[in-house]
Amino acid sequence: MNTNTSKSRFIVLVNIENKPYVSDPEGETILRDLIMEEGYSVVESVRTAKSLKMIVRAKNPKQAEKMVMKICEKLRIFNPIISSCTVNVVKSLP
Amino acid sequence: MSELTAGETKYLRKKLGRKPSAFELDVVSAEWSEHCSYKSSKKLIRKFPNRSKFVIPGLASDAALLDIGLGYVLAIHIESHNHPSAVEPYGGSATGVGGVIRDILSLGARPIALLNALRFYPLDNANKRYSQSSRWLLRNVTKGIADYGNCIGVPTVGGEVEFDRGFSNYCLVDVAAIGISKREKIIRNRSNKRDIVFLVGGATGRDGIHGSSFASKKLSGEDRSAVQIPDPFTEKLLIEAVLEAVDRGCVNAMKDLGGGGLSCCLSEISETISKGLEVDLSKVHVKEDGMSPSEIILSESQERMLVITSQTNQAYLTEILSKYNLSYSNIGSVIEGKNLVIKYAGDVIMNLPSELICRAPLIDRDTIPPESKSEDRNLYFRERPSDLYKSILKVLANPNIASKKWIYEQFDHEVGIRTVLKPGTADSSVLRLENGKYLAVKLDGNSKQCDLDPYHGTMCILSEVCRNIISTGGKPLAIIDHLQFGSPENAHIFWAFKQSVRAIINYCEFMRLPVVGGKVSFYNENNLGPIKHSPVIGSIGLIDRSEWIMMPRFGSEESIFIIGNTKDEMGGSEFYETTGRAGNGKVPIVDLNDDMRNAKAVLRLIREDVVSSLHDCSKGGLAITLCEMAMRGGNNFQVDLDKIPNSCSSISNLLFSETPSRYILSTNKRKRLNTMLSAISGLEFSEIGMTTNNGSESFLHHSKLNSPVILTQKNITDSYENLGTIMERTPVD
Amino acid sequence: MSRVGILVFPGSNCERDVFTVLSKFSGLEPELVWHTKNDLRGYDAFIIPGGFTYGDSLRAGAIAAHSPVIRELKKISEENLPILGICNGFQILVESSLLPGALTVNSSHKFVCKSARLVVKNNSTPFTTMFKKDESISIPVAHGQGRYVIDNRAYRKLERNNQIVIRYAQNDINGSMNNVAAVCNEQGNVMGMMPHPERAVWIQMDQDIRPEGSGVFESLRNHLLWH
Repeated sequence: MNTNTSKSRFIVLVNIENKPYVSDPEGETILRDLIMEEGYSVVESVRTAKSLKMIVRAKNPKQAEKMVMKICEKLRIFNPIISSCTVNVVKSLP
Repeated sequence: MSELTAGETKYLRKKLGRKPSAFELDVVSAEWSEHCSYKSSKKLIRKFPNRSKFVIPGLASDAALLDIGLGYVLAIHIESHNHPSAVEPYGGSATGVGGVIRDILSLGARPIALLNALRFYPLDNANKRYSQSSRWLLRNVTKGIADYGNCIGVPTVGGEVEFDRGFSNYCLVDVAAIGISKREKIIRNRSNKRDIVFLVGGATGRDGIHGSSFASKKLSGEDRSAVQIPDPFTEKLLIEAVLEAVDRGCVNAMKDLGGGGLSCCLSEISETISKGLEVDLSKVHVKEDGMSPSEIILSESQERMLVITSQTNQAYLTEILSKYNLSYSNIGSVIEGKNLVIKYAGDVIMNLPSELICRAPLIDRDTIPPESKSEDRNLYFRERPSDLYKSILKVLANPNIASKKWIYEQFDHEVGIRTVLKPGTADSSVLRLENGKYLAVKLDGNSKQCDLDPYHGTMCILSEVCRNIISTGGKPLAIIDHLQFGSPENAHIFWAFKQSVRAIINYCEFMRLPVVGGKVSFYNENNLGPIKHSPVIGSIGLIDRSEWIMMPRFGSEESIFIIGNTKDEMGGSEFYETTGRAGNGKVPIVDLNDDMRNAKAVLRLIREDVVSSLHDCSKGGLAITLCEMAMRGGNNFQVDLDKIPNSCSSISNLLFSETPSRYILSTNKRKRLNTMLSAISGLEFSEIGMTTNNGSESFLHHSKLNSPVILTQKNITDSYENLGTIMERTPVD
Repeated sequence: MSRVGILVFPGSNCERDVFTVLSKFSGLEPELVWHTKNDLRGYDAFIIPGGFTYGDSLRAGAIAAHSPVIRELKKISEENLPILGICNGFQILVESSLLPGALTVNSSHKFVCKSARLVVKNNSTPFTTMFKKDESISIPVAHGQGRYVIDNRAYRKLERNNQIVIRYAQNDINGSMNNVAAVCNEQGNVMGMMPHPERAVWIQMDQDIRPEGSGVFESLRNHLLWH
């Protein structure tokens, strides 16, 4: 891995969530037994997810996202069979 | 998506007298998959002995029932979830637990214990990439089983784990469950015309469609049909609601939904109750819109049960389901005749005899014995005390032998407050039962031996599992089996399967043990080839009194005895495996007469109260057996190896041979024990040493060694904790 | 006879275990109470048993804390009735603010089921009078979210008020702050503990576990007898 110090630093948010067609029992339970039970009928759906916050060094935000996605795929940080993964730079650090 | 062979298609057309519709083809091909129909194995496994005075006949359904006295019955069942676990180990193993629990539940019994038998590629010291994948599998399979079993409040009381090069990028996940019920509460599956059919529990979605066809093929790449999301909370509600409904007498017939989804469930229950069913698929509560009738009937969504109730009890049933906030739908009713009538939004889309769907044409597969795999060369091994010392520690550190604490501490093994002997303490798990008796239960397997010799390998497993029951004081009551092989279309593999079946028949007939449940899993293959033959055998036994419960735990100042002869039987042994000689040696042969004689002798000693501690001598051999007893008791031993009855050609063979039918025990009534054993004709036994107290070290003496092999508690214990060490060294893979 | 209500939620697992154990103690009359019940009059004490209420969704105990029965329990707790939460019951008590602090995922990130050595630090609660102060006992634990966490100031207050009732004698259980295993409220009538005393009542074959959980239930019985 290149650790060139001239690169910038970014906060990258990784969001791992079950694919749309894969059910999410935890989200369903939170919706049914907590939110609906307490009468908040405006909420239609709840999906749980796991998120990771990474601080990475990269040339630009785009490269940061690409690199983090690659790491997530390579290290099986998410299982592509059930989960989808999105990667977003949320902040550039000085 | 038809999976029928040309022959099956022809047979179906002939039976129907017309071309089947696409929907009919979907239903029939699901039920005629190997997974649901047992079409390759049925003719063979029918020959298993299945009667004894404990077996309750005439209720052959999802799990067998045993009468254990005072009005109580036990149910036991075993299932695997190999394909799904290899792809998505967390969800695959978890939903495997869910499936076997519902098998027990469908009899009306409360699940009281879970066990598992797991097989993986070695965790280290082998191909790096496969080992990494293996650790990932083990970590997630363990977590999957733990999260599911713990959440539903059923203790995971025991198990068995094997690591072998035969499981690269694959794993075997077998789960067994035990249930208990009062005899009069058992579901008899008797139903009348106009009874109502309810589908209860999780909503039906597109998950796991064609899962049973998926399990009837070799694994290739990543496949959506393997995705099964566990929902243990719904399963827990299902357990409590169903048992409450059973208790209130509002269940006439019941079946779980597993492989093949509704199509298999409906056709099979129709056959069981000898009545027709009329079901409208548009009434099924679904997860997503736009599902086709085929998708609804084939879906393998988890946590669902089919419950048939009478018109009068319908209100009670729905009241209970509402109490638990469980979804359900009234999908149809019981009708005259024996047909399965499927409608969609009122229109009939299928009307076929259930029997036709349920009974796939059976197949006679070819068998060809393979070239002999095992070489019986006499391998030279240096036998200085230091070499033997190192070997003992190395075998102890082998994850096949080493403590499985890293795994079982993640399982709640005590909920239900009936676990008397917990995982890791003895040869089998022991549970307290409502009728005042104790239940011993164990699963065993040995793919190394079975791969070299499927007949004798399977015999060894049978002998070992019974010894494990006996070594905790139990008298074996029944056997369950799970036969896991590669493709039955391969004649060598099918030959091995047949050998394994023959071994079970021979052993169980000789020992008069009924086979009360079983399962066959073929097509355990991936792009790296088939797995090693992996039959897993389970046994349960009863212990009438708590004083008879035995543990492998040396006290101090006790005499050590061995029962049984030790031979040069190193094939598939952990010693050969550990020292790089896998594939060599002769697989141990079970002498049925010796096996029975030794077992009876040991049971008699226990009942006469002359045994202080007891351990079966198997994987790893004698040296490992002694070390385990020393470790668990916190005491040491002095053993004279010359005194062991044997026909071994070397000291290492004597220490590490895995000859079956042997027991090691300690006593403080040596004189009485000696007298009792001497009276049994043909029994081979001897007194081989003494236990010593905590402070000292353990010694193995032999006349050919110039000094004894010396072991300390710390050396043994450190090696024995190796599995946890490996897993914690690499916390994330 | 003292009536002990055992609160049962969807996903409770240990209610029958606690029921069976309480039935062995003469003078205690256990009764299962479903979570939708909103009248808790007539009981002398309550136990919230272990389990996975609502499948541990969101956080262990988070959803059960909103049940009608807990709303009632909050009113009753002020009447000084003994209330004991075991494992998931403890989690429900902290989630509903009946007890201070929070219970979060074990530092090992794994579920842990084993025998734990404990030290009783406060023997004046309704559940611990049968123990000696600083007595060492063994009771099994079985949980995935048992790491007790609280801010330093609040922790010091707990110590000052003698609210830390039991500590782990070993630090390899769950990473709890200063090995906290059980805490009580300021009045001392509400206590939560992660270990399962009902699992250490019968003499087990395993010598590691002596029947030391009995003390918790004997203490409760004596308390109810004299109050």
